[in-house]
Amino acid sequence: MIRLSGRLRSSLIIGGQGIRARKLRTFLSMVSLFMGVLAVVVVQAGAEIANRALLADVELSQGKDGTRQMYLNPEGKTVETALDVLAGRTDAVAMTTVQAIIGEPGVKPVNEGGGPVDQPGGYGRNMTCDVNGCYEVPTGNEGAPSGQAVELQLVGLTGDIRSFRPFRVDSGQWLDFGGDPSLAPRLVLNTKAAEAFRRFEVPAEMRLQGSTINATPRFVGVVEDGGYAPAAYVRSDELLNWLGAGDLSSGRNGPGLQVMMSPAASEVEHALRARLVAAGTPEEQIHVNTVNTLERMSTELSLMRWIFLGMAALVLLIGVAGILNVGLATVGERIEEFALRRAVGTPRLLLAGIVLAETLLTGLLTAAAAIGVGVVALQLASGMFGSRYPSLQGIEFPWQAGVAGVVAGLVAGVLGGLVPAVRAARIPIATVMRA
Amino acid sequence: MTPLIRLAGVTKTLKGQEQPRTILAGVDLTVHSGDSVAILGRSGSGKSTLLSVIGLFDRPDEGQYLLGEQDITRIPERKAAALRSAEFGFVFQRFFLLKHLTAAQNVAMALVNGQGWLSRRKRKAKVLAALDRVGIAHLAKHKPPRLSGGEQQRVAIARALVREPRILLADEPTGALDTETGNLVVEALRATTDHGCGLVLVTHDRDHAAKMGRVLRLSDGLLNPAAERVVV
Repeated sequence: MIRLSGRLRSSLIIGGQGIRARKLRTFLSMVSLFMGVLAVVVVQAGAEIANRALLADVELSQGKDGTRQMYLNPEGKTVETALDVLAGRTDAVAMTTVQAIIGEPGVKPVNEGGGPVDQPGGYGRNMTCDVNGCYEVPTGNEGAPSGQAVELQLVGLTGDIRSFRPFRVDSGQWLDFGGDPSLAPRLVLNTKAAEAFRRFEVPAEMRLQGSTINATPRFVGVVEDGGYAPAAYVRSDELLNWLGAGDLSSGRNGPGLQVMMSPAASEVEHALRARLVAAGTPEEQIHVNTVNTLERMSTELSLMRWIFLGMAALVLLIGVAGILNVGLATVGERIEEFALRRAVGTPRLLLAGIVLAETLLTGLLTAAAAIGVGVVALQLASGMFGSRYPSLQGIEFPWQAGVAGVVAGLVAGVLGGLVPAVRAARIPIATVMRA
Repeated sequence: MTPLIRLAGVTKTLKGQEQPRTILAGVDLTVHSGDSVAILGRSGSGKSTLLSVIGLFDRPDEGQYLLGEQDITRIPERKAAALRSAEFGFVFQRFFLLKHLTAAQNVAMALVNGQGWLSRRKRKAKVLAALDRVGIAHLAKHKPPRLSGGEQQRVAIARALVREPRILLADEPTGALDTETGNLVVEALRATTDHGCGLVLVTHDRDHAAKMGRVLRLSDGLLNPAAERVVV
């Protein structure tokens, strides 16, 4: 161990002396290698950042990995039973969806159908088809004058959904599930709905599908939920003041009744399933799946990552050729030095180690430079484009990119230094010292 | 008393040419502790080849080579490197100092060679002692281009002595020096034998050879006592 340590130290000391003695040459080697290592760092950093941004967006709309999702047809006593079982629970949340129009009373909403307000026509009119053909579904707005109102999906929640879908609070506050339900439903808008209400500032009256009485909503906050259409979130029990349980999940565009459960809530799942079956929900209509976003995304992203890494590797290879070229020239110039070192007892292996140490140190210095440039560039990009691209706000340099840079530098050092190292180890002492 | 080194019937033939050429044709040489041996001979007579064999740069084709009582005739390179580090010191005509290193760093080269490890403090002490032994400790921080030829050769001698070898091999160490400086260098080399080191000096200079305890002439691949043998 001491022997190995001594050799390692010797090679590092001598390698360091060699680099100091040939600063310009080392610098030029670094320049030739820099683009390759930087390419690896950028690809890895880009992939990690894209991965995180996509994952964060997907988690918003689909849920965290491992979350159990139950989809139910909101018929019969299904909704009532689900709300009863899940009321007050934190490990499972039921989501109901109903269409709502908020704005001027009795007018046709600007986005009839609940589509994005900045897309003329929105989702268009809802159609239904049977054996005789397809028909338009009545919206209840037929004959109503155009006015300033926004149609949105109103999602009723039995508890805090954020443990499954990590909504980011944009302004205001999230729903408070403690305390008594309010008669004026407290709504948290998603950013698309908030944007719509910024454009159409109107008296807030809320028409709910299935209700004959209009409520006056209170907007308490805005969240980013990853959605593309206007939506709002509300406590289910506050919604029940205005709608019957059967009407809570009548949304045309919604997924019906959805229940999100933590992986550990298996007892709740069993209890809910048993109660639903007992209440008349057919067993085969109870669909449960597990969110597996990460694996699905990894598969999709890994192909892209490998393609870009392959391109980066080609650039790196050019840098390796540069190091190899410089290394061979340097060994040619240092024949006497290596012969002398052998004469004073330096083993061949250590001579090879000295050359490798020099190229490895060069690779590491290049990696440090490339990582430094990557960190600075990312900070600059975050500062300059953060307002335009929220995924760049407060972003940190991914450690995986740093590791990739160091590995690329080391691999380039080994590949570029191997042949010169072998040549250095083979220099004959007698021939050189006699010359 | 066991000799430091003993060569018996050593032969060496240079191959790879049209006609293989026998350089050493049965050389016998014994060097004891404190011996100083000068080897004279014409250019191409095989003096440097003999020194290469003694210094384990090369191996004899035939014969026997003993270091103390250890037969090192066919020693593998890994062990030879360890022996070169521990037992031998080398001084060459062209000094072979590295220009980018200071005198002290050049001397330390023999200590930072993967054969054992010394702390920086111990290395420094040994290097300064070796430089002091050849009278140039005050030049420790100077780089070779700032040193005279004689000073550079003394740095090379310090490098050879820093591991306190039992045998010092010098291959025409005064070839690149003027007479006066050459005398000083030879005197520095000869002084090493006072500490029990064996010295083998290859030279063309009869005056320098005369300062050695024995003078041998290499001719026709054989080593014989020279006519001008002088005991100092």
